[in-house]
Amino acid sequence: MKKSLKKLAAISIAGIMAWSLTACGNSKTVSQETQASTAKAETKEGSKENGKVLNVHIDVEVASMDPQIATDGTSFEVIADTTDGLYELGADGNPVPALAESVEKSGDGMTLTYHLRDAKWSNGTPVTAKDFVYAWKRAVDPKTASEYAFIVGIAGIKNADAVAAGEKSLDDLGVTAVDDKTLKVELDVPVPYFESLMAFPTFYPVNQEFFEKAGDQYATTPDTLLSNGPYKITSYEPAATTITLEKNKDYWDADKVKLDGMKYQVIKDSQQAILAYQNGDLDVVTLSGEQVEQFQADPEFKNIMAGYLWYMSPNTKVAGLENLNLRKALSLSFDKEAVCNNILKDGSIPAYFAVPTLLATGPDGKDYRETAGSNYFKTDKAEALKYWEAAKKELGVDTLTYTMIVEDTESAINVAQFLQSEIQTTLPGITITLEQMPKKNRVERMQAGEFEIGLTRWGPDYADPMTYLNMWTTGNPNNYGFWSNKDYDSIIESSKKGELALDPVKRWKALADAEKIVCDDAVIFPVYQKGNAVMQKAGVEGIDFHSIAINRYFKNTVKN
Amino acid sequence: MKRYVAKRLCISLATLLAILFILFLMLELMPGSPFNDEKLTQSQVALLNDKYGLDQPVYYRFIQYVKHMVTGDFGVSYTISKNTSITTLLASRLPVSIRIGGQAVLLGTVIGLFLGLLAALKHNTIFDTLTTVVSVLGVSLPSYVFALALSYSLGYRVHWFPLLYQQEAAMKSSVLPTISLAMFTVATVARFTRTEMLEVLGSDYMLLAESKGLPEWRLILVHGLKNALIPIITVLAPLVVSLMTGSLVVEKIFSIPGIGSLLVTAIQSNDYNVIVTLAFIYSAMYIGIMLFVDILYGIIDPRIRLAKEGNYEH
Repeated sequence: MKKSLKKLAAISIAGIMAWSLTACGNSKTVSQETQASTAKAETKEGSKENGKVLNVHIDVEVASMDPQIATDGTSFEVIADTTDGLYELGADGNPVPALAESVEKSGDGMTLTYHLRDAKWSNGTPVTAKDFVYAWKRAVDPKTASEYAFIVGIAGIKNADAVAAGEKSLDDLGVTAVDDKTLKVELDVPVPYFESLMAFPTFYPVNQEFFEKAGDQYATTPDTLLSNGPYKITSYEPAATTITLEKNKDYWDADKVKLDGMKYQVIKDSQQAILAYQNGDLDVVTLSGEQVEQFQADPEFKNIMAGYLWYMSPNTKVAGLENLNLRKALSLSFDKEAVCNNILKDGSIPAYFAVPTLLATGPDGKDYRETAGSNYFKTDKAEALKYWEAAKKELGVDTLTYTMIVEDTESAINVAQFLQSEIQTTLPGITITLEQMPKKNRVERMQAGEFEIGLTRWGPDYADPMTYLNMWTTGNPNNYGFWSNKDYDSIIESSKKGELALDPVKRWKALADAEKIVCDDAVIFPVYQKGNAVMQKAGVEGIDFHSIAINRYFKNTVKN
Repeated sequence: MKRYVAKRLCISLATLLAILFILFLMLELMPGSPFNDEKLTQSQVALLNDKYGLDQPVYYRFIQYVKHMVTGDFGVSYTISKNTSITTLLASRLPVSIRIGGQAVLLGTVIGLFLGLLAALKHNTIFDTLTTVVSVLGVSLPSYVFALALSYSLGYRVHWFPLLYQQEAAMKSSVLPTISLAMFTVATVARFTRTEMLEVLGSDYMLLAESKGLPEWRLILVHGLKNALIPIITVLAPLVVSLMTGSLVVEKIFSIPGIGSLLVTAIQSNDYNVIVTLAFIYSAMYIGIMLFVDILYGIIDPRIRLAKEGNYEH
């Protein structure tokens, strides 16, 4: 038996060796791989010398590189790395001209004529006004079914809504190419945040000839992607886990771009992400809530304010929740500081407002929140109890039970459980039960009005309070609670298309008044404005973090 | 044999169609749609549904889907990679999962067989005990524990292997995920080999073979192992499929662009075509491997084949 064992072992080892050989394919692939890895080692060495390739963590794949189709922050970010629009957002969040060299505004502010600078696509063809016209028409074309078609209407571009609804032809859209270098935009109404919107990817140009040649494959490989921005894509495929970019040498502002390139790495497991960061594979990583405590003392730790407002939406069609005193009681009954400092710990701030901070700058040059104040919904448990007593009398009840629907992400559930216990402790007699579900189901239930209370969030699309306030107008699909107020509707309507739209100073004041109505009526129960916690390697500087549209902007980034 | 295979192939095709139809029905019952997004208006949702034909009744969509599928068109992704054809989406991902899964199966089977044989032949010795320990660990510890341990020790600590999967160094970066995934196979195969071999070794025909004076390696490998293989293949078949179709957690930990994580994302975001295609591939592989195993049985043990062909009476 002993001999046979030795033979068996020999056979097994031979088997393993044979397997490892077949697994390598053939010797050619082996040598190719070694070559590739040596080549990589060389570039790594090289990059260490110059320190110029930035390795960035993302936790979800890019859903689309097509500027008129993309809808999520990650896609927007990578699109913005490779594409410039008329404007870009500066480090302070305010728009600065990009492809627009100069602009002429008509007296009534309804016609804008943009003169484009000399810029080239990465295939050598010049960027022209026609590329903008083509892209914008594509965005509102019902055939494209772009989810962001509405934003062309938000920008006030003439006939955008009618074209998007299929009521008017594409040629009626208020944008024309006077010549290759001149873009004329006609508006229905002057829009104070028009320039900020022009930094939004939906308004980025697309070269028609290239687009049509690529056909179905457009924006799915480096060959079917065109760049006119700071970087160009060198490796990408749909839902790729790594995306590499190199500096676009033909970029009009190439002198400002200090990085040689960038590499995006999708890592969904936050623990592995931080391990890769510590291993030196990443220069920037986003932390999850539970990691914050561990790293917040680290000098490389950074808190970034994001735009998302998280709030509870009561359905005013549900018995009891139509009662103002009950809504007020609920809105004051929970400790928001504790939500931010004990539960989330990621730099989120308590929301004493319905329109987030650092969103919009007014005609006075100040942040909207500075003008409008942040004194709504201050947690006051004694006051909440008084409102609850009043509500009990008005409603003729002693106990109430409501179900709150929550999406099934860890942080949302943690927050919801805390809110549940806070409300139940502060307001004896009220019972809150939680129901978890995927986000899509929550949105569906809320839009259909099949809920009592929902914990939800809203991310801003443009730098104006309207991106929030528009939500609570009568009949708006995101007015989940079915609240309705005529005065409120008329302020919003007038600020969008009426008298107020023509007077920025008055409009700014009116928007603050509108917000006050929403807060006084406890239409929503704001909880917090989301913060993000990131780690950023020492020596990496100049990443512009924004709370709207493009969350990170790497044009001015340096890596020492 | 040929008739048998042909018959089995026909049944397999019918099964696949039935699975596909049930999938369509189940997706119909799933709450939500790919387009439940806050920012979408009713009219836009209607437009999108119209664009992708989602406003059609389920049986009609099923027939359309099968029609297109025959030509190799599996539709487009709605959410994960908007408007990208599923074929493009899977073209790069499927080979990665199959490769790593295949490596894991091979590695796991070879080591498992070796350990199992060792334990059986050295029954009640230290080798036997060690094999049992490995088996218990391999079966009870989930693969992500191995994945985390390996990526921390061999990846982060000593830098032998990359922490994350790299397309340009596919072989080197597939080592850790392969080992992590192989552990369960090692344990299962070792356990079954040990038990079966012990039974076979004690049987009369082994005694006969031994008394005929056959060389020992022939005795163990041809007479012993061959007879012990049938139950092992039975447990191995589903393992092969589940490994080749990718593991969610191991893919997540090593950031592997495979199809395991894709399926989960697709289900969460109601990306119907991705779900249907992946479930279809999964079913097809499963049925294919089961068919292959049945044929293999026949080769290893003629009694099974003959019984199936109806010519064999006990």
